[in-house]
Amino acid sequence: MRLTRRIFGALSGAALALAGLPFAPHGAFAQEASTLVIAVPSDPAGLEPGINKAEPVGSEIILNVFDTLVAWSAPGFAQMEGRLATEWTISDDGKTFGFTLRDGVMFHDGTPFNAEAVKFSIERTVGMNPYVKATLGLIERIETPSASQVVFTLSRPYPAFLSILAQPQSAIVSPTAVAASGEGFATNPVGTGPFKFRAYQADTRVVLDANPDYFRGAPSLARLIYTIIPEASTRRLELENGGVDIIQQAGQLSAVPTEEMAAFASNPNIKIIESPSQIIRQLEFNNSLTDSPFADVRVRRAIASAIDYDGLLAGVFGGTAERVYGPLTSNSWAFDPAVKDLAPSYDPEAAKALLAEAGVNPADLNVKLYSFQGSLWGAVATFVQANLADIGVKVEIAQTEFPSYRALHVAGEWQMALDGRQPWYNDPDAHITIGYLSSLKDSAMTFRMPENVDLDSKILMAQGAADMDKRKALYSEIQKEIVEFVPGAFLFSPKLIVFARSNISGLVINSAPPLNEYWSVSKN
Amino acid sequence: MLAFLIRRLVSLVPVLALVLVIVFSLVRLIPGDPATTLLGPGATDTQIAALRAQLNLDEPALLQFWHYLTGLAQGDLGTSLKSGEPVLSEVLLRLPATLEISVAAVLVAIVVGIPIGVLSATRANSAFDHVVRIVSLTGVSMPAFLLALLLQLVFASWLGWLPVSGRMSSYLFVDHVTGFALIDAWLSGEPGAVTSVLSHMILPVTVLAAFLAATIGRFVRAAMLETLGEDYVRTARAKGLSRREVIYNHALRTSLLPAITVVGLKFAEMLGGAILTETIFSWPGIGRFMFEAIRNRDYPGHPRDNAGVCAAVHADVAAGRCALCPA
Repeated sequence: MRLTRRIFGALSGAALALAGLPFAPHGAFAQEASTLVIAVPSDPAGLEPGINKAEPVGSEIILNVFDTLVAWSAPGFAQMEGRLATEWTISDDGKTFGFTLRDGVMFHDGTPFNAEAVKFSIERTVGMNPYVKATLGLIERIETPSASQVVFTLSRPYPAFLSILAQPQSAIVSPTAVAASGEGFATNPVGTGPFKFRAYQADTRVVLDANPDYFRGAPSLARLIYTIIPEASTRRLELENGGVDIIQQAGQLSAVPTEEMAAFASNPNIKIIESPSQIIRQLEFNNSLTDSPFADVRVRRAIASAIDYDGLLAGVFGGTAERVYGPLTSNSWAFDPAVKDLAPSYDPEAAKALLAEAGVNPADLNVKLYSFQGSLWGAVATFVQANLADIGVKVEIAQTEFPSYRALHVAGEWQMALDGRQPWYNDPDAHITIGYLSSLKDSAMTFRMPENVDLDSKILMAQGAADMDKRKALYSEIQKEIVEFVPGAFLFSPKLIVFARSNISGLVINSAPPLNEYWSVSKN
Repeated sequence: MLAFLIRRLVSLVPVLALVLVIVFSLVRLIPGDPATTLLGPGATDTQIAALRAQLNLDEPALLQFWHYLTGLAQGDLGTSLKSGEPVLSEVLLRLPATLEISVAAVLVAIVVGIPIGVLSATRANSAFDHVVRIVSLTGVSMPAFLLALLLQLVFASWLGWLPVSGRMSSYLFVDHVTGFALIDAWLSGEPGAVTSVLSHMILPVTVLAAFLAATIGRFVRAAMLETLGEDYVRTARAKGLSRREVIYNHALRTSLLPAITVVGLKFAEMLGGAILTETIFSWPGIGRFMFEAIRNRDYPGHPRDNAGVCAAVHADVAAGRCALCPA
């Protein structure tokens, strides 16, 4: 075919014509008033409890599509409320939990919710989900004395069980839908929740439609859309431009840098919703190294005293994080305020004195500080580096990509590292056991505590004691012991921050797991 | 022609083999493994070991490579470690998104690049020519991601004329039918969907087309200038053919040869997915999939794409050049 000017002309004309098309300005769609768009950084890892793990996107979707038996009440999350259950009892030995179920609840496919569905769901999840072995795996048997009663018997006392039942993994699925979809249930989940699953388009979006028959009342929103945008800066631009309604900084490792909080604060179209979390981020010592200068508690205390905690909270976090003094956050029911006095405070002179007392020349301490990647961690690492330089300790920062970082951490090839934990259930056990039990040091990212029979047994006892007061007393002892050991410097607990368009209200932000519920949200 | 094509295809084999070996080894040399990434920071060693065994990551490397080759020979590109789906279906799912902007970019680049190149050559050393040469130098030298970020900042953020990211407004939802957003939007009948898709395509297509248009323009200009000085062109003019006829029917045809080569190479490369452009605009194509696969150590997810790109490049360019050669 001959390349003629006419053809070029036609193509150019077409191109120009396309360019002249009116672009729909934001807010032009009718659906926008009743659709809530939440920007998330990644695809959901699993959309139903049977395959759910502690991952934020899929877990949040599950909490909105399904219901659990119980849940922690907003806004304090210190009391439990019944969702699919109305009442419950716990036996004196702490092993048997009985629930009375709510009447008249239906699954999205029209089938009734009952005790059989609960038994089916939990047994199914235990059977197929490897991540619940340590928790739901403690269930010895589930009995259904009637259609509205269910009894769980555990193999050992585990008071945190109620918290576990509030997790997304414990959500109740429709047995009929599972039987009908088989393997396809993961891409077509059916629950009792305020929103029904509509579609999942990989790399792009998850669409949920309102459930008008929801037992707590129909949601105000007609549709919920999770839009997947991997880059944090893109999510921020979208929020500013009105392309999405909500973005979150749930204390994640590589989230929107806090400098941009200032930009949102001065934007009248965006509001910032802050909520305390139970996340703890710290500087850890490798407490299993016997021939390291950090094996001396005075050296550890010196390092911990060299850090300007308030300066970190103000300078790097601009008030978006809170002080942590020990292994539990201040909003935990087991928190012992006595640790505030026992924890090292910012005192560089005392730090230098301690080093001198320990016979260590700060110039000899050439330490590599390992950390996760991301600008947030980079800022924290740099701040710590500057603090330690003030007492003469030279620190080299090594931000490492996650899988490699974990490998070297678990292998014990480090002296100082920045680390943290985001508990996935609302119980002190979530922080204490995995962080400080010495037997776990080679198999998870921990403080690598040296073997201490006394502390280890206290931790396990506190985990299993049925009496709440006894647990509280044990955790009090554990906290004080840990803080005096100075296994690290407890740096901060980031607040859960949600950035939303100003016309959004009614959002519930859970603290552990840090997931949002949209049933009560409305757009004005 | 056939013999030529067969020779070119055969020469693909050693290239492909080398690419496969390199990519396979490089990826596995990165420390950290898929099981760790999949399970996250809270996992214990027992959990990770169990997953590794389940995913056959404990096999010796040579054995893994053998499985990979035999699978490839049978058209099985393996299973994504992250999603559990076959890689082939994951790639095919994302192919329309990449295809949509790649084809649009090539069309735009041709429509913009060739006329500009011709005009620049025929008005050589004029002010217009100088401006074009400077702009096209910028277009060729500027990294794609920088251009993407700049365009996004200026047109989406500051001016608010164009959307920031994605294939369509986040408030709209159309069912997935073909995977081509334009077609699906049109089929759905959802009001405003087609316009939304078109406006979302503008920035990514511009970024992809910029380099290509600049390159085409420069090639066309250079080749045309050279051709216009040739004897046969002077002969044609002497014979009485109009300037326009000479330019388009004679000079341009020859000048297009190098341009086609570039278009072919770049198009094949684009099909491999413009990783950074797709990431910045959250475009759900193959490039973004590859980027995420590397980040998640999803070993089956990426090697094939690279190999495929190389193969496509050779075949594509060879065929294109053949067609343009004078018979």
